Amino acid sequence: MTGVDAILQGGLQGYLVVALLLFSIGLATVLLRRTLLMQFMGVELMLNAANVALLAFARFRGGDVQAMVFYLFIIAVAACEAAIGLALVIGLYRHRGTTDSDRAAGLKQ
Amino acid sequence: MFITFALITLLGAVAMLLQKNVIVAGLCMVATFFGVAGLFVLLANPVAAALQLIVYSGAIMVLVLFVIMMLSSHEEEAALSSRPIQKWVSLALVAALALGSVRLVMASPGLKALGVRGVAVPGAMTLQQVGTALFADHLLGFEVAGLLLLAAMIGAVALTKRNL
Repeated sequence: MTGVDAILQGGLQGYLVVALLLFSIGLATVLLRRTLLMQFMGVELMLNAANVALLAFARFRGGDVQAMVFYLFIIAVAACEAAIGLALVIGLYRHRGTTDSDRAAGLKQ
Repeated sequence: MFITFALITLLGAVAMLLQKNVIVAGLCMVATFFGVAGLFVLLANPVAAALQLIVYSGAIMVLVLFVIMMLSSHEEEAALSSRPIQKWVSLALVAALALGSVRLVMASPGLKALGVRGVAVPGAMTLQQVGTALFADHLLGFEVAGLLLLAAMIGAVALTKRNL
């Protein structure tokens, strides 16, 4: 299973292409949107793309269990990042009344 | 099957990128997470699929949607200054990155060989295998992850509380 066939049938390269496109869309979200919550969702998308690539490699290397342990740790870190990131967005909204990253360019009020 | 879940994933992500309303964008994100969970099932990894649904679609997205509704900033605010050059440069960079990396993956002989060799693999990942690997070989990392989650919880409370 190689080439375009691999993409359509779900070979290793198909999963990697999906992961790469997902990462690119997440990066585009972070770069193009200005709302902090949208940018946060873009970061989550990029983390998910990394997970897809990790588990695809694990499967095609003979069902490696170590990848699942990695995946669990990635999920734990993503959950921490979500909690802290959203708390920071709420704090910013309280101080400035905005969630636009362009309007939060300076540290001083 | 693969192409169905891949399309759900990618179309959900594109819809999220283009959506003006932040709540609808969050719901598109949930569709993307469902698609990724389907991909994990196709990778013979039901444990990862269940975790994806519980943690991402369940916990993280519900938290994000709560915050969106709490802040009542559903629409993107008007731009302070219009700099279309930034938009086009970042779009061009992202497109170049995507096309270049996809071409590299498609052309790589090593990945091709791995894809051919890896077709005949043993059965699905079980929770027992994961638990054994986690608690036999990575107990310290597991405990540190628990401590990290506790620290994040305390940090989030401290950041959002008005007067501590």
